[in-house]
Amino acid sequence: MHFVLLAGLLFAAPLAVAAGASPTGSRPPWMAEVRKTQEQSFRLVKQGEYVYRAAGCYGCHTDEKHAGKPLAGGHALATPFGTFYSPNITPDPETGIGRWSEADFIRALREGLSPAGDHYYPSFPYPSYTKLTDEDLRALWAYLRVQPPVKQVNRKHDLKWFARARTFVGSWKGLYFTPGAYKPNAAKSAAWNRGAYLAEAAAHCGECHTPRTAFGGIKTGMHNAGTRDGPDDSVVPNITPDRKTGIGRWRASELAEYLETGLTPDGDSAGDLMAEVIDNGLQYLRKDDLAAIAEYVLSLPPVEHAVRKADKKPAKKEEFE
Amino acid sequence: MKHARFFHCSLLASVCLMAGTAFAAEPEDIIKYRQNVMKSQGAHLAAVGAIINGKVDFKGHLGDHAKALQATTKNIPSLFPKDSDFGETKALDAVWQKNAEFQKLAKDTQQKASALAKAVAANDSKNYGARFKDVADSCKACHKDFRKEEK
Repeated sequence: MHFVLLAGLLFAAPLAVAAGASPTGSRPPWMAEVRKTQEQSFRLVKQGEYVYRAAGCYGCHTDEKHAGKPLAGGHALATPFGTFYSPNITPDPETGIGRWSEADFIRALREGLSPAGDHYYPSFPYPSYTKLTDEDLRALWAYLRVQPPVKQVNRKHDLKWFARARTFVGSWKGLYFTPGAYKPNAAKSAAWNRGAYLAEAAAHCGECHTPRTAFGGIKTGMHNAGTRDGPDDSVVPNITPDRKTGIGRWRASELAEYLETGLTPDGDSAGDLMAEVIDNGLQYLRKDDLAAIAEYVLSLPPVEHAVRKADKKPAKKEEFE
Repeated sequence: MKHARFFHCSLLASVCLMAGTAFAAEPEDIIKYRQNVMKSQGAHLAAVGAIINGKVDFKGHLGDHAKALQATTKNIPSLFPKDSDFGETKALDAVWQKNAEFQKLAKDTQQKASALAKAVAANDSKNYGARFKDVADSCKACHKDFRKEEK
């Protein structure tokens, strides 16, 4: 429905331009209205595309490894709770989210609830997305509405017995989930707040970079400290500004460059999941936004927590001393 | 006669075996060598970045780093012989299982490194940034599917 409306508006564009260029200069008043609406929806879709990049929707909702269609889902995410398969978020009415309303979409991201009122597993990072502003959520919805629909039935999650009951997710939310948009910190600069918003609400760095409890909740006091039990059995590095085990020796400009190119200050390259995050999302962000993320991430409390094999060696040596 | 032939065959076989053992390095040594070569490539690339981004003023070294990068990326797949897939390596099995794709990406790195070296040799400073980013992207493209952080 929205898609048809937008397509109609796009076709109306040359008409409006032609009318504007006519020598008489007299345009029917409705045409100016049409143009205004059209410009507004175009701007909203553009803004939504930016949120979509920053939030990394494509990476998890596209099964790139098996040449899946964009946003059609089926991307496997192996966790200690079993394997989750991302759903189809294209506007296909049968298998995607084509029948959703904007309110359904906002509720899904802000409250982690499906249109039918079921809890989503937090493999869908709504504890972060809840912090997105209403405006950005609406923009993201506008962008997703104009993506090509793909007919692809969702694959069921393959979970371990203790994670199968969705009702327990309700208790989980009681413990670990606080809904609500990001509230700026008045004591900090605009750039810091922008970086905090992008890192915590959109890019959801902490979802992978923070170790979790046995119940899958974020470990308090360990924000961004890295984990050896990351998704797909990966080691996720410590990105707190700890000089020994984190990225405390990186300068903010180096971190911003890394988020764009994947190249670390010592010439190593991002690989695995982080390469995917950069390729499909972060590299498209504006330089000032990347600098803001870097400023924010490096301003967080350093946590000494060795997760990488190379980082663990000196710690072992100290034990003998 | 028959015995003589058997003798010659076995002699030849043992010579071959000896030659084989003489030339086949220990997998552990190959892995270490490979990691050192890769690290040197990263170091040269980081050095190029620091110079072209104006962080340091070693413009006179730029050509050396670019040439070293070009030389060491000439045949990356040769650093991954078949028996070097176990032990302390971050290389994924995909290196050997999807070898055609791996070779393609390695070739891309070689071409991108050559293009960077050529730009530097021609003093084409306007394109340093773009050529540098091409190499960084090429490294990332391969590390995305073929390397995993070791546990």
